[in-house]
Amino acid sequence: MSWETYDPSLAAHDLVQDLKWDPALRALFKQNEAAVLDRYTTMLPAERRAIEQRDFRALYDLGMHPYLGGQLSRFIWGNDAGGGAIEASNRLVASLTGSIASIPEKP
Amino acid sequence: MAEIVFAAGIPHAPAVVGLFDKAPDEARAVVAATFGAVGRALRAAKPDVVLVFANDHLTNSRITAYPDFIIGHAAEHAGPHEWFKEWIGCRDWAVPGDPEVARTLFKGLTKRGFRMNAEAGPLKFDDNLSVPTVMTELDSTGIPVVPILQNCTVPPFPDGARCYALGQAVARCIAEDMPAGLRVALIGSGGLSHEPGGARYYKIDEEFDQLFLKLASEPDHATFLREITIPRMEQAGLGGTAEVLSWFIVMGAIGERQGESFGYTGWPSFRCGIGGVVWEVA
Repeated sequence: MSWETYDPSLAAHDLVQDLKWDPALRALFKQNEAAVLDRYTTMLPAERRAIEQRDFRALYDLGMHPYLGGQLSRFIWGNDAGGGAIEASNRLVASLTGSIASIPEKP
Repeated sequence: MAEIVFAAGIPHAPAVVGLFDKAPDEARAVVAATFGAVGRALRAAKPDVVLVFANDHLTNSRITAYPDFIIGHAAEHAGPHEWFKEWIGCRDWAVPGDPEVARTLFKGLTKRGFRMNAEAGPLKFDDNLSVPTVMTELDSTGIPVVPILQNCTVPPFPDGARCYALGQAVARCIAEDMPAGLRVALIGSGGLSHEPGGARYYKIDEEFDQLFLKLASEPDHATFLREITIPRMEQAGLGGTAEVLSWFIVMGAIGERQGESFGYTGWPSFRCGIGGVVWEVA
């Protein structure tokens, strides 16, 4: 990875910040994801599609900052400390690499 | 003239809390030795205030208006922020702030040519301050803390030379602007190699980490600054390894001093190389 594709203007960045800062928005996202995404009027169709399909490779290729991508993955797939957010980390890496080869055995 | 009485660099990977009990013995030993030594040395130094330089992981600002440095001026700092509680899995903590030292730092660094930002209200803290605080039990000491959150992850961010120069300005500010007799501790919180949220999330660059710890511990900062570059950090893990820039600030502030480290672990499930340094400043 590199910063070559990084695009700070992606609306997905604001989505992650808002989810992080607003518990009510998080609850709404779980209940009605489309309604939340509709609020981000500058979100590119490809950006929205990548979020809906949990396609982090596509999202990163569009310019998503990996730190906020990681936070989005934890929001979607689990943020638990006892498990080290392993489920989210594994799914994120699998989405980004198309492989589970680099994922270690369970701790 | 105030004086620097303690200086250390430590990582803040959340998994050292959440996965500590699941880690192999040798990894647990490094975590315990590192944070234990830092905590003991900090107490022994009897500081009046601790300045903690730590990466802000896009926690306080939008990416479209991202400050390079924020000085926390609040009378109390607490964490972790609500969203990070589940992820970090550490207990809640609170420490007193020091608004007067924060103001002096803000004014002093500004007049010395560094664009700083001041936050009077509560900052949101994630692992950046939470992990060092709970792992060293800093919150049990009652020592006031001034957090200085820095941008190490949203490009372009201040490079090693700039962070080192900022550290030199911090030293001048402590020596020239702060009250005589004030005992100041410095902590750099961040690193080692990791790529949070990236394709190499589980990759730890042990070669980089070992070199970094070795050079950071030696009183030869020209070599350190020449070898530990932004491209080498990014090669060791994009968006995460550059958190070691917080150590550059501390090293710039103390000058060339011998440091002691307490082992190293690159256990993959920590998703971050773990090691720390305490420098001789007395």
